[in-house]
Parts: sequence; C-alpha cells; structure tokens
Amino acid sequence: MRRFFCNFIFLLLSASTQFAGAWSLEEAAKPYSGTEVSMIFLDRPGYNAIIKLLPDFEKRTGIKIKYQIVPYENTREKEELDFSSNGELTVALVDLVWIGEFAEAGWIVPFEEIKKKYPDIIDPNFDINDFIPLILNAFGTWQGKVYGPPFDNYSGLLYYNKDMLKEAGFDKPPETWDELINTYAPKLTKNSKYAFALQSRRGETQSCDSFMRFLWPWGGSLLDAKFHSNLGNPKSQEGLNFRQSLEKYMPPGIVDYDHSDAVNALAQGNVAMITEWSAFYSTLVDPKNSKIVDKLGVAPEPKGPDGRKPALGGFSLAVASQANDKQKAAAWLFIQWATGKEIGKQYVEAGGISGRQSTYKDPALLAKYPFIQPMLDSWQQGVPEYRPRFSEWSKLTDIIAEWGTKMMLNQVSVKQGSDEIGTRTEAVLKDAGYYDGKKPLAQ
Amino acid sequence: MAAIRISKRRFGIAHFIGLLLILFFCIFPFYWMVSSSLKDPQLILSQKPTLTFQPTLENYQDAFQRNVGGSLGISLFVALTTTALSLLLGTPAAYALARFDFRGKRDIWFWFITNRMVSPIVLALPFFLLASNFHLIGNPIVLVFIYLTFNVPIVVWICSDQFRGIPKELDEAATLEGYNSFSIFWRVALPLGAPGIAVSAIFCFIFSWNELLYALILMRRETQTAPVVATSFMSGYQVPWGQIMATGTLVALPVIIFSLIVSRQMVRGLTMGAIK
Amino acid sequence: MIEQRPPANTSTDPVKPSRKGKLMPIRAVPRKTYSSGVIFFLAPAVIVLLAVGIFPLLFAVWNSMHEFILSRARIYAAHGQPFLWFQNYLGLVNDAGFRESLFRTFVFLLINLPIQLVLGLLIALLLHKVGHEWLKNICRVSLVIPLATTLAVVGLMGRLMFNSSFGVVNYAVATVISLFHSIGPLLQGHFQVLHGFWRHVVPSNMIDWLGNPNLAFATVSIMDCWQWTPFCALVLLSSLTLVPPEIEEAAKLETDRWWQVLWRVQLPFMLPGITAILILRTADILKMFDVVYTMTQGGPGNATDLISVYVQRVGFRQVDQGVASAQAIVLLIITIILSRIYIRYFYREI
Repeated sequence: MRRFFCNFIFLLLSASTQFAGAWSLEEAAKPYSGTEVSMIFLDRPGYNAIIKLLPDFEKRTGIKIKYQIVPYENTREKEELDFSSNGELTVALVDLVWIGEFAEAGWIVPFEEIKKKYPDIIDPNFDINDFIPLILNAFGTWQGKVYGPPFDNYSGLLYYNKDMLKEAGFDKPPETWDELINTYAPKLTKNSKYAFALQSRRGETQSCDSFMRFLWPWGGSLLDAKFHSNLGNPKSQEGLNFRQSLEKYMPPGIVDYDHSDAVNALAQGNVAMITEWSAFYSTLVDPKNSKIVDKLGVAPEPKGPDGRKPALGGFSLAVASQANDKQKAAAWLFIQWATGKEIGKQYVEAGGISGRQSTYKDPALLAKYPFIQPMLDSWQQGVPEYRPRFSEWSKLTDIIAEWGTKMMLNQVSVKQGSDEIGTRTEAVLKDAGYYDGKKPLAQ
Repeated sequence: MAAIRISKRRFGIAHFIGLLLILFFCIFPFYWMVSSSLKDPQLILSQKPTLTFQPTLENYQDAFQRNVGGSLGISLFVALTTTALSLLLGTPAAYALARFDFRGKRDIWFWFITNRMVSPIVLALPFFLLASNFHLIGNPIVLVFIYLTFNVPIVVWICSDQFRGIPKELDEAATLEGYNSFSIFWRVALPLGAPGIAVSAIFCFIFSWNELLYALILMRRETQTAPVVATSFMSGYQVPWGQIMATGTLVALPVIIFSLIVSRQMVRGLTMGAIK
Repeated sequence: MIEQRPPANTSTDPVKPSRKGKLMPIRAVPRKTYSSGVIFFLAPAVIVLLAVGIFPLLFAVWNSMHEFILSRARIYAAHGQPFLWFQNYLGLVNDAGFRESLFRTFVFLLINLPIQLVLGLLIALLLHKVGHEWLKNICRVSLVIPLATTLAVVGLMGRLMFNSSFGVVNYAVATVISLFHSIGPLLQGHFQVLHGFWRHVVPSNMIDWLGNPNLAFATVSIMDCWQWTPFCALVLLSSLTLVPPEIEEAAKLETDRWWQVLWRVQLPFMLPGITAILILRTADILKMFDVVYTMTQGGPGNATDLISVYVQRVGFRQVDQGVASAQAIVLLIITIILSRIYIRYFYREI
C-alpha cells in the first residue's frame, strides 16, 4: 500500500516536472502561428544580426515578422505617430531616453502584465536576472517596472591608435582624464595630428556624447536630488571647463564633428584617441573603412576624479499596447527569442551585442572580440541616469545641445552657458510638475 | 559692318564660355557624387581628394542588396502617375485662368499657390490619420494624391502664363472656324504652350520623386520610395558614404532621363509661325 | 469688334508695372466663352485639391488651437483635448528661439533669393540666345541635375565636399593658392600685399566650412543656390519663350546693348515668371528642412537653425503638434502676406 502510494507520488511529481520542462518555442507559438508582428529596425549591426537569424524564428513559430528600416533620426517620430493614432506597430523599439515617455504615455506593456496574461508563452529559461543588472535597469526599467529586455546596447569606450601612442612614448592608454590632458595630449598634438576628437555636433551627439561625458566623472550631474539644476556645482563646472581646455588638442571644427567624423578621424590616423560607442568596433577593424586595423587599441573610458562613469546608450524591445491580444503574445515570443539565452552566442557572432551575462562566460568569445571586456567593465560601473530618461528629456536635450555647442564655440562662457541651461531646464521641469509634487522625481 | 561682326564674334566666345561655366556649375557636385560612389569607401575619406582612381562597383552591389531596385520602380510609378494627373487637372485650369474672365478668378488663382505654402511637418499627422482611416498606409496611391497638392499649383502657375502669351488672334481664328473652347484648348493652346508644359512636367516629376517626409511616414518597407531607401542608410551612427552616394546617383538618374525626353519640348515653338 | 491687344513695348519708355498693382484683365473677352467653358476647365483641379488638401489644413488649424502633445494621446482619448484658444499663438511671441530662427531665415532669404534670381536670369538669357545649339541642349538638360538630387543627399554631398580635411573644396582652394604662389615672383611687391591680405582673411588652407558658424551659414546657402538656381533658370527660360520673336528681333536691331533689350523687351514678359519664383522660393525657404538637417542639424550653435528646422524640432522631437501647428500657420500667413506684396509690385499680366 505504502509502496503504491510512494510510487504514485513519485509519478505525480515526475509528471509535473515533465510539464514544467516541456516548454518549447514551437509549442508555445502554435496558437499564434500566422500572426504578424511589425516593428522598426535601424541600419546598425545589432539589427542586421537579428535579421540574419529571423528565418529560423519564422520557421519554428509560423509568426511573420515585418520590419522596416528607418533612419534613427526619424524612428521616434514614426513610432510616436504610429502609437498616437492606433497604427500597426506591435513591438516598440525603445531608446534609453524614450522609456520614460513611452511608459508614461501608456504605449508599452510592462513585463508583469504579459506574464499574468499569457503565462504559457513565458519561457522558464528566460531568466530575467541573467541580464547585466545595470543594463536591465537602465534600458528596460522605468519607475521600478520592467517593460522589456535590453536590445542593442552600447557603452562608451576609449579607442586609441597604438602606434601613435608608442611614437609619443606611451605603451598603454591613459587611465584618467587628467593624465590624458596633461601627459598624453601635448605629446600627441603636432604636425597636423591631434590627440583627441570629441564628437560634438549639435543634437543628441552634443548633449549625450559631449556634454554629459564631462559631468559625471567629475562628480557633477545635470540635476540634483530635488531635480534642480546641478550645473552650478563646482564639480560640474570643473568638468565642463576641462572640456574647454581639451579643445586645443582637438582638430579645428570639432563642434561640427558627428560620430562618423570622429570615428573616421581615428580610422584615417589623424587623431590618436576617441571615446565612442562600442558599436564602432566593427567599423574600426574593417579594412575597407579603417587604416588602423592592426593598430587599434580598446580600453574603458578614462576615469575622472569621481571614478569611471562611461557613456551609456542603447535600446530595449517592448510590447506595444495598441496590439491586439494575439499580436501581443506573438510580439513577446519574438522579443523573448531575440534576447534569449539560446541565440546569445549566435547573435554576437552575427554582429550583435547581447545583454546577458551568460553569453559572455565564454572565454573564446571574449578573446575574439577585444572590445567586449572593456565594455563589460564599463557596464559594471555606469550610471543609469547618465541621461535622464523622463519624457521631458526631448526638450532638455535641445537646450543642452544648443548651449553646449555655444560654450564650445566660446560664444558664451562656461558659467553663462551653464546658467542658461539651468534656468531653462528648471522652467521645463517646473511646467511638467516636478517641483510641486505632481510628478514623481523619476529619471 | 566689320565692327559689328567682330563684336558678334567676341560675344560668341563669351556665350560659349558662359555655357561651359553653367555646365561646370551644375555638373561638378554631381560628378563628385558619382565618382565617390565608384570609389572604395576608404578612398572617399582620404586626405587628398583623388581625381583618378580604380573604379569599383561594390557600392552599387550593396545598394541593390537593399532593395533599391524595387524602390526605384515604386518611385517611378508614383512620379509618373502624379505628373500625368497634375497635367491632366492643371492645364485646363491654367487655360481657364488665362483665357476666361470671371468673378473670383484672381482669388482662385492665388488659392492654387497657397496649397504649396504649408509646411509638411504639420500636415504629416493629419495625412497619416486620413490614410490610416482608409487603410491606405503602404499603398503608393495615397502618395499620388498627396503630391497633387503641390504639383497642380506648379502646373497651373507656369502654364497659365504660357497660355496667356499665345496671341488671341489664333483663338479668334479658330472660333471663326467653328471650334468650341475645348477644341481650341486642345489644338491651339496645348501645342503652343509646350515649353511651359514641359517645364512644369519636369518639376512635377522632380518634386514627386524627391519628396521624403510623406513617403517616410506613409509607406511600408515593401513600398518604400527611392529617396526613403537612400536615406535609410543613415543609422544615426554611421554614414556609409559610398552606398549613400551610389543610391543618390541611382535615384537621380531616372529624373535626368525623364528630363532629357521632355526637354525637347522646351525649345521655343517654331510652330507658332507655322500656324500663323 | 474684337479689340486689338495694345502692341507691347514699341514705345521707348521704360516699362513700369501697373500702378494699381492689381490684376487687370487686358481686355474684355466675349461673353460666349465665359459660361460654357469655365466650370469644366476648373472644376476637376479645384475639387481634387479641396478633397485632398482641405482636411489636413483644417486639422492643423484645429491642432493649433488645442493642446496636442503626442505622448498624451491616451489622456486625450479619455478626457478630450484641452481647448487653448490662441494660447499657442501668443506663446510664440515670447518664444525667443522662434523669433531668432525666423529672423535668421529672413536673412537667408534676403541673401539667397536675389542671387538665385539674378544667376537664374543670366543662365536663362545665355540659353535663350541663338548659337551653339548642341552645347545649349546639353546645358538645358544638365540644369535638371541639381534639382534631381534628393535633398537629403544634397546635404550629405555638402558635408563631403566642404569637409575641412578631405573635402574637395578646400583642396581646390589650396591648389589655387599654390598656383598663386608660383606666379608670385612675377607680381613682386603686389604679391606681398595680396598675400598678406589673403592670409588675413583665410588663416589656413583648411577652411573650416562647417565648424565656423558664419561659414556654415554660407555653405548651406551655397548648396541651396546650387540646387535652386536651375529652377529659376528654367522658369525664366520658359517665360523668355513668350516674347514674340518679331519684337525681339526689332529691338536687337535697334540697339547693340543686350541689357537694354533685356530691360525693355524681355523683362516685362518675364514678370509673371519672376513673381512665381519669388513666391515659390519664399515658401520653400520657409519650409526648408532636409538639406540643413543632414548637413549641420541647425548648428554649429544656432548658425543654421532655419525656421522649419525649429518647427520640426518642436513638432517631432518635443512632439508638441499643437505649438508646431501654430508655428506653421503663422508661417503660412507670413508667406501669404509676402506673396501679396510680390504680386502688387512685380506682377503684370502680359
């Protein structure tokens, strides 16, 4: 009797574990076969990598993926137009700085809701904690809720020309910004070659790459805890003044340099060091585009007095609220697959960047792509609020872009420019209701 | 006599040089675009612009891989259709404004051109809503109609002046022979107005071909027009110069061919004398 | 009896546009052609334009009087859009950025429009003049090339050509300078003066076209002129074909000076074309966006922040379609006012 009972329990238990271990993509996708999922992609390696792997997904699930490739500058407007007028997008591509806006507007669905509504499609192996914490927090989370996993993420890295450094007597890159400007720069700036190039063109490039980069490592920031301007703080001023003094070691017309110009300056051997996004690694090692393929060195960004606070950029994928039920489930299946453990390694090999810790446990992968280690190191130390992600960022970025470039052109002094930015920023935030409690202080 | 002949010859040379300058002015940047499209991407960004180099077709190969060919077809369809429709609608209207007199004529004439004055930036959302209500997103027909709003005014404006320049005696002669106004329009005005019609056709084609904002917002991947594909390379981080220049060249070519075909009409009507 | 059209310009008085500045019908048209033709000729165009164009325009006006921030779409769906009367418009008065941008755009207009018009006129004259037929044909077709290039690509071409390190423009400048150096010894003393002057204006061979605010403005102007001068030339060319050949011949026999022929005989026929160009170019410059965006994004600083770049920023980056619509309507009104002024002073029915 007892034996029978034990066997019965054992059978019951094994049956239930069979159930739990039986999740497969094909099974979960069966009810949604034939559904169309539509989204926007950019013309960048991370997306081209997923496009290469798409046929496999479509075969296994029967879900059709429709994507459009749109220039980055137009992505937000296309998505916003679509979402605000009941369009057809079912997956939202969310830039780090749009998540506050999209979440507040109710355009994207939190992960918890998806879990509750469609328990069957959740892959038990998905393991959301496998994502690098900073990445998941910065890219996919808003006000404590996770909306979607990170996808196509970057860190700022220091790229340098080993030969130029060696000629000037250096066998390793600078550890700190102080070193860079005092020791390295003077020796590297001569004969029409320059030590550094900082992409500073008016636009997001100026506000994110140029302006913010010289606040955080000095202990400064755009906003203080109460969301008032922190630019007047001596630490912020120190950083911004540092940027001004770096200008003499940079090529003329630097204020107009965009990403491609800075990368190209390094690639053509005109400049010794740049701090650019990790995604540019592939350009710099491509003999078609770069003259310094075998001389390229990669390191994390230099430290400031307050430590290493590298630039943070990238996207996440979320399910769009406007999709119908079937589409929502199909969309989540796609997102889950694209950022899943299964294809992590394949994705990196195809040119993408995975946000998972498990993908990078493979030493062979790390050896093959020298930029991964510095990038992982940077992700351990970054600041999620590198750029505030609330919906007012779109207004603030334009203010910073305008006055940041004016500062660099010496049309206003650093103090004047900072005061201007401060006043205008506070006006925007006041209007939005951050100072009288109408809006929670989330960034 | 000799003095006039000499000054005429000097003028001839000045004329020649002037024309050459025009040619250079128009063509040089275009030449630069074409030559960049044939260069190795590395070479485009090198310190000294090189005038001689090994041409390579890889930029074009890359461009065709991105469905540039299909988009050229869509653009062609849209541009030709909207040009034809604009001429169909615009030339009679231009004739009416040129020949007839009626109350409100001046206002209608001005109203045509105001259609072209509003910035597409704020019309994009309304058009998007309209199109999505009619389930026309992704259908090139919607572009054909939207482009009419800025093409018909051009046709009306240029052709009405052209028609006004046709001597009325020809009209009278035709009326006396028993033709009604439509026949006069068809047989007299259109042939003699050929230069203006040709110019406005070229403009319609060009403006429709190059339009970017509406095409970006209202079309889907399968039905993207050529300029949209040409600019989709701008990922925000990279500028693949070689491919962009190659696509730019491909996008410009059909327009040039179209103008070649149509520009024969632009020579001043020797027919004017013939009809007289 | 049908009146004869007063023969044009056989007098030697300079032609003035009609004093009253109004459109005056040259002569009465027999009633017969009035009733039957007009409706059928005009109706198709008017109906189509109304059908396609009126809804978006009204919608934009409606937007301009309401609050319409795209990211609040769901709130609007639930509670409706706040009606703001003319608040959006009044806000523009305080908006220094809008005013500065508008001012900058007018400066751009005042500099570039005359250049394009005059150059276009010269080109049209050269193409109209008899002689060198084959070269003229090639030129006529090549005029289309600048127009044929996609605006965004024009901006990128500008970036490529005016790049201070590897742009072809600076290369050409450097070549000219080295040529100058090589003939320097022939000029001796004069050379020193000229050289000193040149170096004062252009400190180095690497002219910073895109990084220097003033030069960036100039560069955008150059690209705009490159693209639109042919437009002016083509419109003026088709206007020139309207001049009755006998009158032209007669005038040419009377005087050897081409500018007198131009002023007295050809220009009056070109006035409608000139007015069309003025109105269209004004409207276009107020809408000008793509070229600036791909070339400089409005920078460096504010140097090339033309008004439509500003409006796009408001409408699509700050996604405030309400304010952007108000701005666009204001621009529309400005364009209409300017157009009426052009018509009053330049237009004359031929």
